[in-house]
Amino acid sequence: MRRRGPLAAAALISGLLLAACGSSGGSSNSTQKLSLQASLYGPSKAKVCQGPPVRGGTLVYSRQAATTGLNPIDPKNGNGDIFADNLIYSGLVRSNPDGSTNLEPSLAQSWTISKNGLVYTFHLRPGLKFSNGQPVTAEDVKWSLDRFGNPKINTAMSSVAVGYGTSKVINNTTIQFHLAQRETSFLYDISIFPAFILPKNLVEKEGAAFYNHPVGTGPFIVKSFVRGSHITFVRNPYYWEKGKPYLNSVRFNFVTNSDSRILALRSGAAQIMDGVPFSAIASLRKDSNINVQAAKVPLFLGLWLNHQYKPLQNLDVRKAMQYALNRQEMNQDIFHGLGQIPNSVLMGLRYNAPDSVVHPYPYDVKMAKALMAKSPYPHGFSVTLKYPAGYDYYTQLVLLMQQEYAAIGIKVKLLQEDPATNTTQWNQGAYQLIFPFASFTSDVVVPDEYADFLADWNNGLKGFFSYWRDPTIQAMVLKFKSTISDATRAQEWPKIQQALMNQTPVINVMDLPFVNAHSATTCGTDIDALGSDHLEDTWIAKGKS
Amino acid sequence: MLIYLIRRVALAVVVLFGLMIATFLIIHLVPGDPVRAVIGGNAPPAEINRIRDQLGLNQPLLTQFWHYVSHTFQGHLGQSYSLGIPVGQAIDGRIGPSAALICYALLLSVLIGFPLAIYAALHPNGLFDNIIRLGTTFMFAMPAFWLGLLLALVFGLELHWLPTSGYSGGVGGLLRTLLLPALTLGLPLATVVVRTLRSSLLEVLGSDYIDAARSRGLSMRRIVTRHALRNAVMNTLTVLSVNIGFLIGGTLVVEQVFQIPGMGSLLFGAVEKRDYQLVQAISLLAGSAVVLASLAADLLQAALDPRVRLGGR
Repeated sequence: MRRRGPLAAAALISGLLLAACGSSGGSSNSTQKLSLQASLYGPSKAKVCQGPPVRGGTLVYSRQAATTGLNPIDPKNGNGDIFADNLIYSGLVRSNPDGSTNLEPSLAQSWTISKNGLVYTFHLRPGLKFSNGQPVTAEDVKWSLDRFGNPKINTAMSSVAVGYGTSKVINNTTIQFHLAQRETSFLYDISIFPAFILPKNLVEKEGAAFYNHPVGTGPFIVKSFVRGSHITFVRNPYYWEKGKPYLNSVRFNFVTNSDSRILALRSGAAQIMDGVPFSAIASLRKDSNINVQAAKVPLFLGLWLNHQYKPLQNLDVRKAMQYALNRQEMNQDIFHGLGQIPNSVLMGLRYNAPDSVVHPYPYDVKMAKALMAKSPYPHGFSVTLKYPAGYDYYTQLVLLMQQEYAAIGIKVKLLQEDPATNTTQWNQGAYQLIFPFASFTSDVVVPDEYADFLADWNNGLKGFFSYWRDPTIQAMVLKFKSTISDATRAQEWPKIQQALMNQTPVINVMDLPFVNAHSATTCGTDIDALGSDHLEDTWIAKGKS
Repeated sequence: MLIYLIRRVALAVVVLFGLMIATFLIIHLVPGDPVRAVIGGNAPPAEINRIRDQLGLNQPLLTQFWHYVSHTFQGHLGQSYSLGIPVGQAIDGRIGPSAALICYALLLSVLIGFPLAIYAALHPNGLFDNIIRLGTTFMFAMPAFWLGLLLALVFGLELHWLPTSGYSGGVGGLLRTLLLPALTLGLPLATVVVRTLRSSLLEVLGSDYIDAARSRGLSMRRIVTRHALRNAVMNTLTVLSVNIGFLIGGTLVVEQVFQIPGMGSLLFGAVEKRDYQLVQAISLLAGSAVVLASLAADLLQAALDPRVRLGGR
């Protein structure tokens, strides 16, 4: 680690101050910004990472969300628990570590799907073992997935288990699932944490105590867990991917403050951190010992419109609100070019058509004003925008939006609330405009989950608390969800995408990536399409970058 | 003295009961649903309601308050919904780091504050007196998170003398990992110590009996340590005991900056998740600590100054 002089320290202090105050500092050169964006994606390209992986070492990961528990079917603290579960357990299938939206085999080496899309038959890899050495059997799989399909056990994620029917053990390594209704997203639904495979005998015997020393099929085993401080994992000798993981151990330090995480990374106390604030990216990039990595994930800034508020019921008003947003400026000034201008009202998902097919709303104030003039509100109206506190980019974003909407006659009153209050008000419909979540992501990369939330009025979520309803789009979504052929789904979804853009019941302000940073000698930092780190592929190079 | 003690203990019980009522009302009336905060916004409303029924959250507030009070007096602190473990288990293991941090901060504030105050009082309005007063005021004005990050930047990142964050047990680990957090908490308190002690010392050093001691040829060191300090320290003790609450409250921010697994960071997470049982238990514990510290300070004062015992002060 290079030593820096006092002047550099002062510059760093100023950088931290600016980060704390939430200012942005992008330049105006678009070519430079495109280069910035392109070079930020991907793992370290340092010379030491070009060779074969090196076995050994401990990776210290400075994480923004603390792990509070290790029960994959009942995560209490979102990604804090889920990312720890991803190291300990595995499912039948998994997201491809290359970041694409494809699935690949995990514990199951192959599977077949019946012609009617209702029966899935999985064949487990031979010789699979849990981390305590006991064999993984079809009975463990049946038991685990039956829990996944039971909404009284799988409470938090019951929405992805809709349609789960029954299971049947064919033999010790073959299991069959019969869905109650066709859910073409089934493979994606069981690729995530609530469908991880657990040892039936141990969980039934130990109950809640099992999760203090969990046994799974993931690349690592829990060695120690100090709530509020850290969790340490060691290599699972029975992990099914031969030769992996490369690391001897991993330690998650729970560091909720972003400046503290940056300090830990810079000082060498940690080799990797997540949740890099956008305002800190430029400063981190100046350090040649640090690599900033941005992963495309289904994360977006979703602005929810309450259709119980009269002005927002009008389509011309909603379209005007789309045209009035200068997303290019937002992207450069707030997100340092890392955002993606969306062409969907939902986050970036599999089957999304490109911009050439479904066009994003361009920034066009003239068009926005014309639409407002055509609407029942030619002189504009007042509206309150609620947003979560504690995020510098939200503060900057809403101020920009307030100015842009003022230009078309919409007077926006800003109301910052703590995240729990904000989400509750959204659930209760006690809002006019709202960013309901600090981090708004889909749990799966296929559109089924969020399209259903928004468009299927029968799910009881009232248009995902937007109170918008369109029977035509609802029918399109329900048909899409039961379409078996991937190719047909790829054709159907862009039509729904376009229909939703035409109606714009909600507004996707920007698609965003997950931004991590790691030391340049930390190699193989694969992140899949849901933002999960595949630490079984990660290794620490010897020598300097 | 016994009557004084009984009166103070009775008052402490009343204060703690008032704290229970205030905490219960505040956390229950603030918007935010503990079940949704944990399981997410897309869970079906029927399921949310079922869990709320299970947790007793749909009962009238008075009923919930009665259960809270009666269970607390029986020693049952309830279950933390956001952590999925008993509240006692959640708190156990988190008290140590916070207590160590607070004691360390108090110690540093005294070790830094006392010498500076004595020096300033013995050289009033001199250059160093002004530097001390200006410097301590600056420390007091700086927000805790900023001061903490600055200390971590200089001593952790630049000089590599101390870790930037984290916590280790054992005497050596505590002293090393808690030094910067304790300084962050203790430096503003040292300001208070410097100001009050300097002011009290100046007053006491102007007394007749100090003049008498000087005229008897006693050294200034002996005059200060044996005579002046004992009288001057009373106000500082009062101020320190009042600021125990400041120290406890300060752990909320400092533990976040330095990632200390203490009660402050536990409370922060509990408030975020609207974990009523955990918030109530931690608030009661913190309140009890403040009340006890205040009681101890009052008793110490009563022991040192008979006028307090007799109600003359």
